Amino acid sequence: MSGFASDPVEAQGGAVVPSSEEVKKPVVYSLRHGVKPPIARLAISWSRGNSLRVSVFRQPSSPENSGFEVGGKVVEVRLDNGDGEISDAQWRRIAYGSVSPFALLQSRKTTVSSLSKMSSNVSPYHVEWWEYVLEYSKDINSLLGNQKSPPQLLIEDPKAVLKKVEEPNGLKAAWELMELFFVDRLSQAWLPERLVDWLADYDGLFSGTQATVHSKLVDFQKNLVSLQVIEDDPKYWEVISSALAVGWLDIVVKLLRLHGSYQLDQLGNRETENGLVEAVAVLISKMPRMRPELEVGKLGECFKAKPDFMKAWERWRMQITKLECSAFWIQCAHHQTREGLRNMLQIMLGNTNNLCTATCHWMELYISHFLYIRPFTMGFESMYSLAQKCIQLKPIASSHRLMELIIGILGENIEVVLAECSREFSPWMVTHAMELLTAGSNQADILLHEEHYNLGGISMEELHRLVYAQVLSTHALTWQIAPIYLTSCMKQGMGLLEILLNKQPVNHNHLLLKNIEICRLYELDSVSSNIMKIAGMYHWKHGKKGAGVYWLQQARDEVRLNRIAQQMFDSVGKSISDESFRQWEGLIQLLGSESKPAGGLDFLHKYRDFKKSLLQICDGKTTDAACQAVESLVSLMKNPSTPQRFWLPLLYDSLKLLSWQERPLLNVLQTNLLLNKLQELSIARLRPDFIEADLPPHALNSVRLALAGNLGRAILEE
Amino acid sequence: MAITEIPIPPQVYRFPQSKFIDAVRWLPPLSPLSKFAVLATFDTDADTPSLETHSISSTSQWTPHSQWTAPSRISSLSTSHQLLIATSTLSGSLHVLSAAEMEVLFSIDENSGFHMGPIWGVDVMGSECVSVGEDGRVNLVSVNGGGEKGFRRVYDGNGLVGFNCVKWASPSEFVTGGFGFGLQWWDLRRPGADGPVSQFKGNFGSQGKGSGMVHSIDIHPSRKHTCLAGGSSGTVFAWDLRWQQQSIVLSGVGTGEAATHSLSESEVWEVQYDCYTKSSNITSSRVLPAMFCSEDGILAVVGQGQEPVELLAEPCAINSFDIDPQSPSDVICSLEWEAIAIVARL
Repeated sequence: MSGFASDPVEAQGGAVVPSSEEVKKPVVYSLRHGVKPPIARLAISWSRGNSLRVSVFRQPSSPENSGFEVGGKVVEVRLDNGDGEISDAQWRRIAYGSVSPFALLQSRKTTVSSLSKMSSNVSPYHVEWWEYVLEYSKDINSLLGNQKSPPQLLIEDPKAVLKKVEEPNGLKAAWELMELFFVDRLSQAWLPERLVDWLADYDGLFSGTQATVHSKLVDFQKNLVSLQVIEDDPKYWEVISSALAVGWLDIVVKLLRLHGSYQLDQLGNRETENGLVEAVAVLISKMPRMRPELEVGKLGECFKAKPDFMKAWERWRMQITKLECSAFWIQCAHHQTREGLRNMLQIMLGNTNNLCTATCHWMELYISHFLYIRPFTMGFESMYSLAQKCIQLKPIASSHRLMELIIGILGENIEVVLAECSREFSPWMVTHAMELLTAGSNQADILLHEEHYNLGGISMEELHRLVYAQVLSTHALTWQIAPIYLTSCMKQGMGLLEILLNKQPVNHNHLLLKNIEICRLYELDSVSSNIMKIAGMYHWKHGKKGAGVYWLQQARDEVRLNRIAQQMFDSVGKSISDESFRQWEGLIQLLGSESKPAGGLDFLHKYRDFKKSLLQICDGKTTDAACQAVESLVSLMKNPSTPQRFWLPLLYDSLKLLSWQERPLLNVLQTNLLLNKLQELSIARLRPDFIEADLPPHALNSVRLALAGNLGRAILEE
Repeated sequence: MAITEIPIPPQVYRFPQSKFIDAVRWLPPLSPLSKFAVLATFDTDADTPSLETHSISSTSQWTPHSQWTAPSRISSLSTSHQLLIATSTLSGSLHVLSAAEMEVLFSIDENSGFHMGPIWGVDVMGSECVSVGEDGRVNLVSVNGGGEKGFRRVYDGNGLVGFNCVKWASPSEFVTGGFGFGLQWWDLRRPGADGPVSQFKGNFGSQGKGSGMVHSIDIHPSRKHTCLAGGSSGTVFAWDLRWQQQSIVLSGVGTGEAATHSLSESEVWEVQYDCYTKSSNITSSRVLPAMFCSEDGILAVVGQGQEPVELLAEPCAINSFDIDPQSPSDVICSLEWEAIAIVARL
C-alpha cells in the first residue's frame, strides 16, 4: 500500500479517506502529523485492533535547512467501528456481558441434545427450547440499553408532551425486533400491538434519514412554549393526527387537553367545542387494544380474548360513527378544531387516505393499519403483503438498516436477515442473533448448520463466530473472551485458538499467566508449554536468568535447559569459587527440588552442597563434615551431568580431603573411580575443543599424587 | 462439625469503568459519610495509565475525585495510614503521592539505575518504601529523601532471581516472594549479610504440576512471625518463621489434605488477612482467616481447619482487592472486565 504520493494540498489537511464497499459514505479522518510539505511518501498498514498505522515521509531536503526539520512521522489512526452511536468502551461492555448468557445457552444446547438422544419421551418438567432462548435474549437485551435512566421529575411539566427517555439505539431496536418475531411465542397473538410499542420506542431512530412522527413531535415541542392560541396553529392538528395514527394515545390526549377551550375564562362561550374535544379524548382513551396489558400511563382498554375484543371494537367504532354524525359539529364555531377533530375520527375509523397523510414513512403507515384497519393481521405471509402494500403507498425514499431488516424478517428470508445483520450491524450482532433465528425455525437451523464447501467445510454459524472471535482477538482487553466463541466452533475453532494463544506477548508476567490459565482450561498442554518456552527464552535473553530458568523448568524443556546450562557453567566456573557465591543462592534454590527437570543444572545444586561442606572443613569442623564432603564429591563425580571441565577444579578443591590426616576418607573403590576420571580427563585434554581450567599448572599432578597416596593408605587399611 | 448458620449473602455493587483496572486500594475517608478509594487504571483507547481517586457515598454513588497521569503502566500500588500512595510502574519508576491532593511528593525515574525493567512489588510503611522487581533488585526509598541517588540498594540479584511482591513486617524487616513458591525474609539490622536472613521454598507441585510463584504476601501487624502468601494453582499458605521448614496450606491443589477445600485452581492474585471473619478458636498456633482473589473469579475467605466461604464468583478474573481497614466488612475488588465491585458483608 506504500508508494502513494499525496499532493501538497491534501497533505496540509492531512486526510485519509478509507474506501470500502461496506462504507457507503466516505469517512474522513484528520491526521496531525506535523510534517511539513512536500510529503514524498505515505505508507499505510494495519496496527493493533481497529487502527491504521500511517507513516508520513518528507522529501529529503537539502542539507543546509534540514537541521531541525522532522523527516517523517508515524501516526496511528483509529477507525470507527462503523456504528457511531455505540462507543468502543460500550462495545466492550456488551462483549463482556454477552459471554455468560452465550455460554449458558450453549451448555443448555448440549444438555438438551444429549437428553433428547437418550430418551424420546418428554418429561413433564420439560422447558421448551424457545423459553431458554427468550431468557438469553432478555439477558442480552438488557446489555444494549443505557444503564442510567433520567431522574424522574416530581412535578410533571404539563407542556412536556414527549417524555425524555434514554437515547434509543439501533442495535437494541434490531435485537428486540428479532426477539419479537423469532423467539417470543407468548406474544405471537398480539404481535401487531408489540410492533406498535416497538415503533413508539424507536421511531426516533428513523429521523436521521427521513421525516417521522417523532421528529414532528420534537419540533412541535420546541415551539409549544411560544404558542399563544394553540388550536389556531395548523401544526397542532397535524401533529395530533400523526401521533394518533401511530397509536401514541397518551400523547394525543395530553395534546388535546392543551386545547384553548379548556381554559377557565373561555369555557363559558366555547362549551360545545370543548365538549367535542373532550368526547374525542375520551373515545381515544377507551380504544380497545388486543393485548394482555398496558404500561402505566398508556391508554386504551385491554382484551385478551379475540371475541371480547371484537365486541368492544365494534361498539367503539359505532360510538365514533355516532359522534361523526352528531349535530354538534355545526355548532362548533372554530374551524380548525372542527376539521382537526373530524380528521381524527376518520383516522380512528381507518380511512386509508387520512392515515396516509398523517404518517411519514411506510413503517408508520404499516403500524396505523394494525391499529385501525386490520388488528388481526397474523402470520408472516399476510404481514408481508400488508408491508408491501404500505411500501407502495409510501415508497422508501432513503433506505434505513432497520427497515431492511424488517422487510427481511417479514419476507421470511433468513439469509437476508443474516446479511443485513452482518452488513449493517456488527459481527457481535450476527453471532448472537443467530441463536434467535434458529430458536423456532428448523429451516433456519438447517441453513445455518449446513456445511459449505466454499467456506472450507464450515457452517454459516461457525463462520460468523470465527469472524466475531477475530474481532475480539484484536483488542488487548477482549482477546481473553475469544476462546469462548472459538471453542464453540467445531471445525476450525481449536486451531485458531492455538494460534491466538501462541501469538500473545510474553513479557508481562500477569498476561502470560492469564494466557497459560486459558490453556489449562481447554487442556492445551502443548500450547502452554510452548508459551512457557517462549517466555523462558525471552527472559533469559533479557538477562533475567532466574525467570528464564523458571519458565523453562515449567515447560520441562530439557534441551534448552541443557543449552543454557552450558552457558551458565562458564560464569559459574569463574564466580562460584569466589565469595560471590551467595549471588547464585536464589537461583540454585530454585533448581533445588529433585522432582523437576533442570537439565544439567541440578549439578549446581550438588555443587553448592559440596562447597558448603568444604567451607565447614576450612572452619575446622570434624571428620564427620569431611565424610559428608567426600560423599558429595563422589556423587558429583559419578553424576553424568557434571561437566567434564569441572572435574579437575572439583578434585583440586578437595585436595585436603584426599590427604586427610587422621585416616583415608575414600575407600579403594572410590579412589579408583576418581583416578579413572582423571585418566579420562588426560585423554580429553588431547582433543582440540578441550577447555583448560583456570588452575595452577601443577594442579593435575598434585591431585594425582594425593589420589595415589590415598589409594595406598586405603589398601593398607582394608 | 458444629452446625453453623447459613451465612447471609453479601451485597455486591458493580461500577463499570471503561478502563482496565490494574490495582485498587481503600484510602482513609475524606468525609465521614463517604468512602474513598484509589484505582490504578489503564485506558487502552488513549494508551494512558493513571491513578484515580474516587469517593463512594453511602448510597453507592460513584464520584471521581482527582487524577494523576502516570508515565508508564502501573504495576503495583500501596497505601499508608498517612494518606500516602506509593506506586511503581512497568518501566521501573516509583512515585509517592499524597492521597488527598494527588500531588507527587517523591519520584524516582527509571533511568537512575533504580530498577531494570518492571517493578512488581512496592510496599510503604510510615515513610519508608521498599520495592522489588523482575531484575532481582531490592531497593529502599525514604519519602523524606536521603541519599544521593534517592534510594538505597539492599540487594542486587542481577537477574539470577526475580521478585513478585514485597511486604513490610516491621520497620526493619520485610518479606519478598517470587519464583518456585519462594519466600525470603530480610532484616535490615543485620549488616554484612548480603541476602535474605532466611528462605523458604514451597514444594506443592506434587501431582505432576510444575512449581509456581508467589504473587502476594500479607503480614499481620500483631503476628509478624507468620507470613501469608498466595500464588499459582490456587495456593494460599502461611509460613511461620518459628517452623521454617514447613508451611501451612490454607487452600490449593496438589496437597492431600487441603485438596478437599480448594476453591480455586488458578492464580491467586492477592491475599490479605481478614479481620472481619472471626476464627472459631484463636490460638497463637492457628493461622488467622485469610481472604484471596483469583484468576477464575473467586473472592473467598479461608481459614485453618475451617470451611471456606465464597463471597463472590465472577465470570471473569478478580485481579486485586482490598479490605477496608476502617470498616472491614467492606471489600473493594477490581474485575478483569473493566469494572469495580464493592462487596458489603452483612
